[in-house]
Amino acid sequence: MSATTAEITAPARPSTLRLLLRDVGAAISLVLVLLSILLAVFAPWLAPNDPYDTNLMAIMQPPGGEYWLGTDGQGRDMLSRMLFGLRVTLTMGALSLAIGGSIGVLMGFCAAYYRRLDAVLMRLVDIMLSFPAILFGLAIAAIFGPGVTAVVIALSVATIPLMARIARSTALVVLGLDYIEAARAQGMGDARLIWRHLAPNCLSPILVFATLRFGQVILLGSALSFLGLGAQAPVAELGAMASQGRTFLFFAPHISVIPCAAIFVVVLAFNVLGDSLRDALDPRLRV
Amino acid sequence: MLRHAVQRLMMAVPVMFGVLLVGFLLMQVVPTDPAVVRAGPNASAEIIGQIRSDLGLDQPLPVQFGLYLWRLLQGDLGVSIINNVPVSQELGATIGPTLELMFASLIWSIPLGIAMGTIAAYLRGSWLDRLVMAFSVAGVSVPVFFLGLVLIWFVGFQWQLLPFTGRAGPLWTIEGLRAVALPAITLGGVFVGPIARMTRTAVLDVLGADHVRTARAKGLPEHLVVLRHALRNAMVPVVTLIGLQIGFLLGGAVVTEQVFSWPGVGRLAVGAITSSDFPMAQGTIIVLSMGFIVVNLIVDLLYGVLDPRVRTA
Repeated sequence: MSATTAEITAPARPSTLRLLLRDVGAAISLVLVLLSILLAVFAPWLAPNDPYDTNLMAIMQPPGGEYWLGTDGQGRDMLSRMLFGLRVTLTMGALSLAIGGSIGVLMGFCAAYYRRLDAVLMRLVDIMLSFPAILFGLAIAAIFGPGVTAVVIALSVATIPLMARIARSTALVVLGLDYIEAARAQGMGDARLIWRHLAPNCLSPILVFATLRFGQVILLGSALSFLGLGAQAPVAELGAMASQGRTFLFFAPHISVIPCAAIFVVVLAFNVLGDSLRDALDPRLRV
Repeated sequence: MLRHAVQRLMMAVPVMFGVLLVGFLLMQVVPTDPAVVRAGPNASAEIIGQIRSDLGLDQPLPVQFGLYLWRLLQGDLGVSIINNVPVSQELGATIGPTLELMFASLIWSIPLGIAMGTIAAYLRGSWLDRLVMAFSVAGVSVPVFFLGLVLIWFVGFQWQLLPFTGRAGPLWTIEGLRAVALPAITLGGVFVGPIARMTRTAVLDVLGADHVRTARAKGLPEHLVVLRHALRNAMVPVVTLIGLQIGFLLGGAVVTEQVFSWPGVGRLAVGAITSSDFPMAQGTIIVLSMGFIVVNLIVDLLYGVLDPRVRTA
């Protein structure tokens, strides 16, 4: 990176991580986020049992016995299913965010950089924004049939316009700065200019938005699975597990409550982290 | 004003057209023949052929789309594959309960959210402010179904205070009110947080404004400063933001209907999709999308009425 960019992106101030850790809520949520990612990644090694192994001699066991988190209605180990469920839920969210986010960022940058495309792209974004994610979810599940793929497509599509707006408004500010003009004067090509100078300087708002969006995407994805439009039985997914547990709500509430609580904690952690990240990265908001 | 209205309308029309086109194409990719469905299980090949030409299914696609729009205008949305009931009839029976649920949720959550946000803004930095903000972050993080299941378990099952399955009648009857209570608390519950947060930001903005300082300087009692000068001016952004949350409300309603077996459009749509009832799925999705576009349009126009600056923009 050239010296000019370095001066603009890194004025003398405490590191973002240090600022984040000053706030207790942010520190706790950062730990929870990292923990949930680690649990999901290492699920196959951490799970004490096969998440699909049924033990009909031990159905609806409450938490605390031989099985730490009890068993579900078919005698499957809840702890193992939770670990694998977290894996599926987080993967679903990460995929949607990666696909929808990349397309959105690309659209936003193009709209900001090529002014002739701006009106067309932003009108498209307006139209996409006029539909809530749940409608995308219903429509795509109707076309492709319910399943994880349908959820990922729906959530990606719902993420595109939001990310495009953030990327465009950030890029417009950065493109007005002197060093962009300097790079252009050096005869730098469009693609190189966007990749080397525009993208790195638009990173913080995009990162903040992605963190906040990840929580929403997980919430929406698990809701679609809860409705039966996402992960299908016997796949362990937190929303689907919460839904299957409803049958046993009055005899064994833990089957439903544990996955619900896990979704709540993970989404809350991402939301708190996103809010704190925004405060830490945006010096204007800092009091 | 008129120009603003016409402009918004002009934007909504192509979107509506697009929704109908997608809805129409949806039926082209799914593996069912509407003629066979309409004819019923024991129909002869001749009758199916007759229905096919009546529906125009032997015509080229653009002509079929025209016929489809024509039937739609007459309220003909097709027939369910599962029970042979007209889609429009099922939709007619479920729209009421969905609107009822949304109304019952907003009627308490909007005032409560606005009150909480105003208090939080006024007492900025106090423990009460922090409590409201914490509540609002929790509100946007909790899965709707979690809240619903917890309420069912405690209020419905353990304490036996309120029913938790289905609808028992219109809102003006005691039974109807009792039946809608838990679903409305669930759906409204996730709505209070965002409203409180938006109100807090809007009121904070206004509290720092010159006219509020003037009102204080002329010795107006504090509660009048907040109610008459701060809150009233903060209402414009709050109303808009509430309007923008309609999509969030719709998503919550679909899940809430599922949790409480509430006989609404959302539950109908989900049931149709999971049982591959394509005409029903198509009809519900089109009606939900159209309703959503119309509500957005109304919110847009209302914004123009509330804030004169929008009209000229």
